[in-house]
Amino acid sequence: MTGYPMLKLKFKLSLFNLLSKIVFTGMFLLLMPYIIERINLKYVDNDLVQKREQVLSLISDIGIEPFITSDSSFGSFNILKEEFISIERISLEEDLNFIEESSRLIDDEEIEYRVLNYSFKIDDQPYLLEVGKSLESISATGKNIRSVMLVFLAFIIIITFVTDTQYTRILLTPLERIKDKLKMISDPSLFDNAPVKTNTSDFHKLDCALCEVMENLGTLFQKEKEITVNISHELMTPISVLRSKLENLLLKEDLNYDTSAKLEDSLKTLHRLQSLVNSLLMIARIESNQYLREDSFQLRELLKDIILELDPIAEDADIMIRNDLKDDILMKEANRSLVFSMFYNVANNALKNTPTGGNVLISTSLNQEKFIVAISDTGRGLTEVQKETLFSRFKTRDKNSGEGTGIGLAIAKTIADFHKIKISVASELEKGTTFSFTFSGNS
Amino acid sequence: MNVLIVEDERSLAREIADFLKSENFLCDIANTGTEASEKIAINLYDFVLLDLGLPDYNGIDLLKEAKKINSEASFIIITARGAVEDKVKGLDLGADDYLPKPFALIELLSRINAVARRKFNVTNPDVILGDFTMQVHARKLICKETEVDLTKKEYDLLQYLVLNSNKVLTRQQLYEHIWGNILDDQYDSNFIDVHIKNLRKKLNLHAPSPWLETVRGVGYRVSTGHKE
Repeated sequence: MTGYPMLKLKFKLSLFNLLSKIVFTGMFLLLMPYIIERINLKYVDNDLVQKREQVLSLISDIGIEPFITSDSSFGSFNILKEEFISIERISLEEDLNFIEESSRLIDDEEIEYRVLNYSFKIDDQPYLLEVGKSLESISATGKNIRSVMLVFLAFIIIITFVTDTQYTRILLTPLERIKDKLKMISDPSLFDNAPVKTNTSDFHKLDCALCEVMENLGTLFQKEKEITVNISHELMTPISVLRSKLENLLLKEDLNYDTSAKLEDSLKTLHRLQSLVNSLLMIARIESNQYLREDSFQLRELLKDIILELDPIAEDADIMIRNDLKDDILMKEANRSLVFSMFYNVANNALKNTPTGGNVLISTSLNQEKFIVAISDTGRGLTEVQKETLFSRFKTRDKNSGEGTGIGLAIAKTIADFHKIKISVASELEKGTTFSFTFSGNS
Repeated sequence: MNVLIVEDERSLAREIADFLKSENFLCDIANTGTEASEKIAINLYDFVLLDLGLPDYNGIDLLKEAKKINSEASFIIITARGAVEDKVKGLDLGADDYLPKPFALIELLSRINAVARRKFNVTNPDVILGDFTMQVHARKLICKETEVDLTKKEYDLLQYLVLNSNKVLTRQQLYEHIWGNILDDQYDSNFIDVHIKNLRKKLNLHAPSPWLETVRGVGYRVSTGHKE
């Protein structure tokens, strides 16, 4: 498809319509003089034959004498010398009957005629009858016919082009409607199942097929959501039971240190399982659009909140969180807690990967109309392999780098996709890593 | 106070009941929606803990029904379904709070207490902690007539410990209460330790705070009662 301009079907049909008409007209214009001449001559010849028959019937009625006396010949012209009829005696024996083009000298003027020659006998005396029509008058008729035809042709072309275009438009209206129905559909459940009114069976079939596909897809999506909910229920219930039991045990007052430490450790492990399930569910829910996007907020405030949140931890680890939030953006139709979670995960990740004495920089900037948030650390940096697997689930860089499940960045990526934010990573070994969030124009 | 626990998972219902009994609640258990519906019709409860995911009953319907019969009761929804729609629907129908599974029993207790305080319009009395006084209603910690300057997080942490005083709270329970579930994956026991460390530093500027105890291997506890 690349390389060719994309056109609407309607325009393509109209274009083809116009081009085919131009080609046909061109061919017609090329052939027209020849055709008109042939037709014209045919008519002229018929006319000449008819005139001959009239003269002959006149002769048979009143005899040859009124036209011809001995040794003389008969000739008649109309005033403009467009036609002539002549009869003369000849001495030739053979029968003549042909049409030719020849010139005649009339009143010192040479004129080209189309002439019918015909010989007949009366009382064994052969006569030659000539009926002629000037070529000039013949071609004048041809010209007239041609100009009338041209006007007619132009008229026909305009009329048919307009009607064809209009008809195509009306014909394709259902297709436009089907197209409109498909536009802006992010979820099959939003598809308008009302049939498009059409009496074109192809469109009807297309519409029906689409409705069916959408319905099936919608059912599948619904099922997927239900499965997510069911799995969460199935997994969370046993975790809940275990957790309550362990917590109740821990509340008993006669526990020795060893037992309570073990109970706490079990709770910790259980909590890891819980966060794992929660994280997977969160991703599944985001991906199946179960979170609302109804918040509007200034991003600078949110980033400040995150810094406030992380500052004590950073201070404790002797890491400085610097910020450069000179630009701000109003996020619309977003989910604040998800966006918070996204930046928090990445910032916390940066903090974890920064050695004591290092620093983390959170900055905002406007670059070519695009709003960018960057979170940089002065950590160990990433190898190419690490960079590639960074956003995949369950790949922590270092098993000892904290208690997280290694899914934080995967969640961040899912949230970014949900908000149409692009995340990119730049990293240099032993220097640090920078995560950039590029916001699309609509936020 | 009378509590009805509507929960189809029997052993979970039992654990919740055990815990609440130790906190001097009277507990009743219904393992099915039908049973719950019958019990609500006969008895008067102050609290109904309602699991939405019942096998025989639509939890939302049960909530509507129970609200009609027993309008005085407070409802706390407990469910494994964390979907936003469920939460909104439940709260719209008059549930007083919503707790996603799995939850800490301590958290359940604080929610029940919070709902009860709201309902009966009771303000927490001031709590004396050595030389400190926590004015819970004003969200202030006072020491010798000066206010101790705490961040919001530090105050929340301390108040949670104070409201559950004489109980050991694990770092995880504290973390969950303060940060909620959204940052679940980033749970880091270090967070709580750092905040407690900062909190102690600030307290000790005013007066010693032996009542804020570290329970080795388990977590933290605020002890009232036995004064130094």
